[in-house]
Amino acid sequence: MKGLHRLCFIALFLLAFLVAGVLFALIFRLSFKELLDSISSQEVLFALRLSLLTSFGAIIIALILGLPSGYLLARRSFRGKAILDTLLDVPLVMTPLVAGVGLLFLFGQTFLGRHLARVGINFIFSPWGAVLAQAFIAAPIIARSGKSAFEEVSPRYEWAAQTLGLKPFQTFFLVTLPMARQGILSGVVLAWARAIGEFGATLMVAGATRMKTETLPIAVFLNISSGELGIALSCALILIAVGFIILLILKQIGNNHRHGLPMKGIQ
Amino acid sequence: MNINALILFLFFMSLSPLTWPAREIRAEELHLLAGAGLRQPVDELIDIFQEQTGHKVLVDYAGSGNLLARIIASGQGDLFMPGAFQYIQMLEEEEMVDSYRRIVYHTPVIGVNLDKASLIRSLEDLARPGVRIALGDPKAMAFGWMAQEILEKTEIKEEILKNVVVYGATVKQLALYVAQGDVDASIIGRADAIQYRDRIKMIPIPDEYFEAEIIAIALLRKAAKRSEAIQFRDFMSSAIAIETFQHFGFLPIGEAER
Repeated sequence: MKGLHRLCFIALFLLAFLVAGVLFALIFRLSFKELLDSISSQEVLFALRLSLLTSFGAIIIALILGLPSGYLLARRSFRGKAILDTLLDVPLVMTPLVAGVGLLFLFGQTFLGRHLARVGINFIFSPWGAVLAQAFIAAPIIARSGKSAFEEVSPRYEWAAQTLGLKPFQTFFLVTLPMARQGILSGVVLAWARAIGEFGATLMVAGATRMKTETLPIAVFLNISSGELGIALSCALILIAVGFIILLILKQIGNNHRHGLPMKGIQ
Repeated sequence: MNINALILFLFFMSLSPLTWPAREIRAEELHLLAGAGLRQPVDELIDIFQEQTGHKVLVDYAGSGNLLARIIASGQGDLFMPGAFQYIQMLEEEEMVDSYRRIVYHTPVIGVNLDKASLIRSLEDLARPGVRIALGDPKAMAFGWMAQEILEKTEIKEEILKNVVVYGATVKQLALYVAQGDVDASIIGRADAIQYRDRIKMIPIPDEYFEAEIIAIALLRKAAKRSEAIQFRDFMSSAIAIETFQHFGFLPIGEAER
């Protein structure tokens, strides 16, 4: 066992070294003053705010669409389920740029796009486009992880809850969802990480208008293209830092819940 | 010999051609970094070059600024062919350019969606209320800052800017928006308008409004395969190369300016 652990330790060390190495390589390109100037610039602050808002919106939409889908796929079998199940994975294997072009074609100058615009829902060239692009990538991840999380919860608990008088909706929110939250939460972490780093689809649907649809990844791209490596790297570091903090918080929430789970005994 | 060992043996046998020395010992591999907008003519020319000389050219296509950052950070690559001459000058400041050859002009035009062709016939028409315009980011791309220069020279800059609904990060993105009808018009490259000629109408911009961008190829100082790279540099500025570029909508540079 000792030998095995030693080997695993070497692998872990190499992996951590690689990640930390990349981080330090990025940080050492920047002087402290450059970083400070960039972080306090209007453009970077705007990009940070927009990235947080759009990714948050995208996760909410992804949860609303993804969780019920995942639940249904876990509990029911129906004709064509395998195809539908696979279809949901398509955005995950699509190049984001292609997803963006597809969304542009679907919501652009089409029947659907024009009618949505008429009632005031305009995805194209607006920050909502960034939300749409990110939700398109995030929802399948949540559906996928939701499905396996719900599959882990035996339907017997739901039957039991219902024989004790809970209505189906109550059962879902009081029994199934809490029991599946660990898996769902790790799905949210993954989906959120993909959403906030999303670039290609956002670029096509929302455009790269500074101070309007400029999320952090777009700011990184624009500033690398215009040779302003300082701002680009600062944005990249902020993106990494924000990501790190949120991942940490979400993991913490997951752990606390696990320890305080009332039904831990019966799981 | 058991069956697994046999399969393993066959597998490695099948890989061995990969490790054989190339048959033509003199064939070299060159590494070119080229602006994404130049892909069509460059791909075609590389095929011709490979046929003529046997040397292989591996190309990285990306935004010119992106490539520049990559060259400066890594010091790698033999040749650099950006979408705007400015990037070669920036690399010269870093003392990384050995020499360069000018090839063709990358000329800006107004690209108009065919359905709006009757509405927009000139630069002035871009200021009409209700026209939807896409422009390139003024700092991140050549046709972005060129568009700003052009607008500066008009009397109606503010009116035109009011009509801008989106800024893009690459010129192909702008061309796609026009072709799809998501915007009515944009300032793009002549070559981009020609690529979409079935959906985009090209309106020339009078010469006095702009200085056309120059496409050039630079030999990098640290080029590993120097003599082959020089050969490719000169091939890319030869008559056949210029003819190919012209075919894709680029305009030739007068002898005096080259």
